[in-house]
Amino acid sequence: MRTIIFATAIRYLTPVFLLFSVYILFRGHNHPGGGFIGGLIGSIAFVFHVLAHGSERTVNTYFQLTVFHQNRQENHSRTKYVWDLVGANTWKRIQPFKSASWQFYILRVRPAYMMATGLFIAVTSGVVGLLRGQSFMAAWWMEGEIPIIGAIGTPILFDTGVYLLVLGMVLKLVFTMSKE
Amino acid sequence: MFYALLIGILAAAAAPLLFRAIGRRVVVPMVLIALLLFVYYCTFLPQVLQGQNLVEQYSWVPELGINLQFRMDGLSLLFALLISFFGALVMLYASGYLHNDRLLGRFYLYLTLFMTAMLGLVTSDNIFCLFISWELTSISSYLLIGFKQADKNARTAAWQALLVTGLGGLALMAGLILISISADSYTFSGLTEQRQLVQQHIFYLPAVILVLVGCFTKSAQFPFHFWLPNAMAAPTPVSAYLHSATMVKAGIYLLARLNPVLAGPDVWHYALMAAGGITAVLGAVLALQHTDLKAILAYTTISALGLLVTMLGLGSEYAVKAMLVFLLAHALYKGTLFLVTGCIDHSTGTRDLQKLHHLGPGMKYNGWAASLAALSMAGVFPFIGFVGKELLYESTLESLLLLAVNFIAGVAFVAVAIIIGFRVFWRKATDKTQLQHKAGFKLYFPPLVLAGIGLLLGVLVSSVPSPLLQQGARAVLADETAKLKLSLWHGFTPVLGLSVLTIIAGMLVYSFLPAIHTRVTALQPVYKYGPNAVYHKLFEQFLVKAKAFILWLQDGYLRSYVMYIMLFFCGLLLFTLQRDTPGINITDRIYQLQEVRLYELVVLFLVIAALVYLLGTRSRLTSIVVMGLIGYSAALFYILFGAPDVAITQFLIETLTVVIFVLLLHKLPAFTYLSHQFKKYKFIAISVLFGSLMTYVMLLVQQQAIPSELKKYYGKMSYMEAHGRNIVNVILVDFRGLDTLGEITVLAVAALGIFSLLRLNPEKGGKP
Repeated sequence: MRTIIFATAIRYLTPVFLLFSVYILFRGHNHPGGGFIGGLIGSIAFVFHVLAHGSERTVNTYFQLTVFHQNRQENHSRTKYVWDLVGANTWKRIQPFKSASWQFYILRVRPAYMMATGLFIAVTSGVVGLLRGQSFMAAWWMEGEIPIIGAIGTPILFDTGVYLLVLGMVLKLVFTMSKE
Repeated sequence: MFYALLIGILAAAAAPLLFRAIGRRVVVPMVLIALLLFVYYCTFLPQVLQGQNLVEQYSWVPELGINLQFRMDGLSLLFALLISFFGALVMLYASGYLHNDRLLGRFYLYLTLFMTAMLGLVTSDNIFCLFISWELTSISSYLLIGFKQADKNARTAAWQALLVTGLGGLALMAGLILISISADSYTFSGLTEQRQLVQQHIFYLPAVILVLVGCFTKSAQFPFHFWLPNAMAAPTPVSAYLHSATMVKAGIYLLARLNPVLAGPDVWHYALMAAGGITAVLGAVLALQHTDLKAILAYTTISALGLLVTMLGLGSEYAVKAMLVFLLAHALYKGTLFLVTGCIDHSTGTRDLQKLHHLGPGMKYNGWAASLAALSMAGVFPFIGFVGKELLYESTLESLLLLAVNFIAGVAFVAVAIIIGFRVFWRKATDKTQLQHKAGFKLYFPPLVLAGIGLLLGVLVSSVPSPLLQQGARAVLADETAKLKLSLWHGFTPVLGLSVLTIIAGMLVYSFLPAIHTRVTALQPVYKYGPNAVYHKLFEQFLVKAKAFILWLQDGYLRSYVMYIMLFFCGLLLFTLQRDTPGINITDRIYQLQEVRLYELVVLFLVIAALVYLLGTRSRLTSIVVMGLIGYSAALFYILFGAPDVAITQFLIETLTVVIFVLLLHKLPAFTYLSHQFKKYKFIAISVLFGSLMTYVMLLVQQQAIPSELKKYYGKMSYMEAHGRNIVNVILVDFRGLDTLGEITVLAVAALGIFSLLRLNPEKGGKP
């Protein structure tokens, strides 16, 4: 599967897929779509990436963020310090600075966390109804509409939860299976 | 009363934390809480003594009759005082007994939990409330017996106690529910008013049997007595508290509580008298054969419990009085003796009678406590045990058989009392047992207090315990006029003669004890058929059979599981279809075939061709691709019939399935036919059955289309109320959102399950 054309195309297509999946998610309320379908499309984006580049690289690219950090030195001005931080974190310009003084943290999103977050969001959206003195999962809508996304209410939140859960679930399976 | 229990539970939960914070001083707050509860229950005394019943009620699940209802009358108060006071002493004692234990905090957790559960048991009026407490005492007893979890005996004994009392608990629940159905009331006070209904109801006999099984397992009556001696594997404070003074009396308590409801028909009285009588004699006889002090005490406890049950079965006013007095006396002296035994064990490292000689000079406070308790146990004037024994004899004077039972148990008690109160401590011996260390304050103070109370209550029997016991007797007899006047001295009556005779006989038996101990080995073959052996045999057989059954059912082949599911589903469908028998009429709808369009036929043909090809192919890759083709065709059908949401989902799922298969493909072994030819036909038959049933159901559904308002309602409301034009999605996330929530939870759980299955590597012996 690791042909150059496929691999290169997927590198550019994955973000597009993702964007499309989010679009499908918010579109679902008025047109075909929704959280479940959106989640599946989003996961397919990553699955293709896994097929093309291997799961390790997918994790490195999309589910892991390395944040570089350095304490400000005495002789550096505040502006330069901030500029260095931004530079190091966006263009990874670490080399010029002696890397010993740089620390880094790895932030990782695990699929299981995504599942848990999704479930949490879905339940939370139901609790809103309870807090307002109605039954569990009673919908609540904001006044007015937001361009592109449309009306905002707890069902959208619920759908987002479904989206995250489905995404997390498929990723968990695919990552586990493609290991070894 | 509810808040008292709440405080108990909170204290239990706090115990390990306190232990971590203040170490061994945790004993101070725990004893204080038990004392606080004791004082709290004492405040009920004036009202209860005037004959009032205090009631407290909180709704819990009113629809099912499950409410937190509490009621305080004489019987409840007697038990509550006993439990909380004894609790305080045992808490103190335990810190001396387990002074080096790392898990002391956990021990206090269990002990306080047990105390709370027991208090809940004796104060609850609602049957479910009682049942919950009942089970909680079983569970905490399990935890306490198995407290020394490194010891295999302790674990086995704990497991046995839990199984026996737990099974009894289930029987009890069934019995209580039957009673409540027949009287349509869920409280003991309500049941007492409806006693006529209960006793005439057809459920009376099964209810009585079930309740008796529950109470007999808890109170260690024959043939369920075997768990109690084994439970002596627990630390001694536990044995003293749970297995002699309180928990085993829970069964007695419930029998007494239900006495006004169920007593009357002969079956109740005879069942109680038979079981109680056998248990009393059996316990007495077995007690004399052992040389382990704790075992001796355990068997005399069983015997005493048997006597209590017998008295309840007798049911006369005298018998109930005797039961209550003896219950109090027994709790006091037996608790003391257990605590003293624990102390001996702690100081010398053994409990074997034949190795213990002349301990008195080294442990004189314990010696005094043991002697005082033993005198009470033997029924010597002026201890409360004397009053109890007199009453026991007096109530059974008319029945020779019961008198004999009483006499045998009494003789055994006297012999055991001499062993512990005299022989171990004070008999001069040449080889005096060496003490490893002296017993501290915490180890001799509680038994001394209990033994002193035994003497005090005996002397003051007519003024102190008498009014409370009178209220207790009224609760048991459901008779507001019952009188209970206790006095220490009855004059020279035949009963006094019997008492003296018992003591003399007991001394005789004591002098023959060494001979008995050498001869008991001859009885060993009999015990092979005892209930304990039967239990172990049943337990082993159960495990073996269960394993065989599971291995037969769970053979590990995916196809078997699919087959079971399909067959079960088909069975259900067939059952429903033949029960409701709505016929279908295809001929009326034959014209619909004309409406079939060409592209539908093309897709249908594609599916059939793919299926035929699938059955023939031997390559996994091909079958996956063909399966994908079938799935996509199904999605095409959805589009043709106007269900874009479903179609999209189907497309995506098919894609993912193929991809996941491809990921796993190289791990699968080569494709081979392992099944026998006959098995293949079996599978074909099952799939044909399943397919044709589904087709039939589809045809049926179309014919019997029910005009529904629902479609219209959703159509209208989805835009008006739910702000969405896509009805499918609005139903999913809004109208039926709870269903979706359940489904995604299942998805998450399934994903975790698959994850652990994939990570599990049985060949390498890996863990998930």
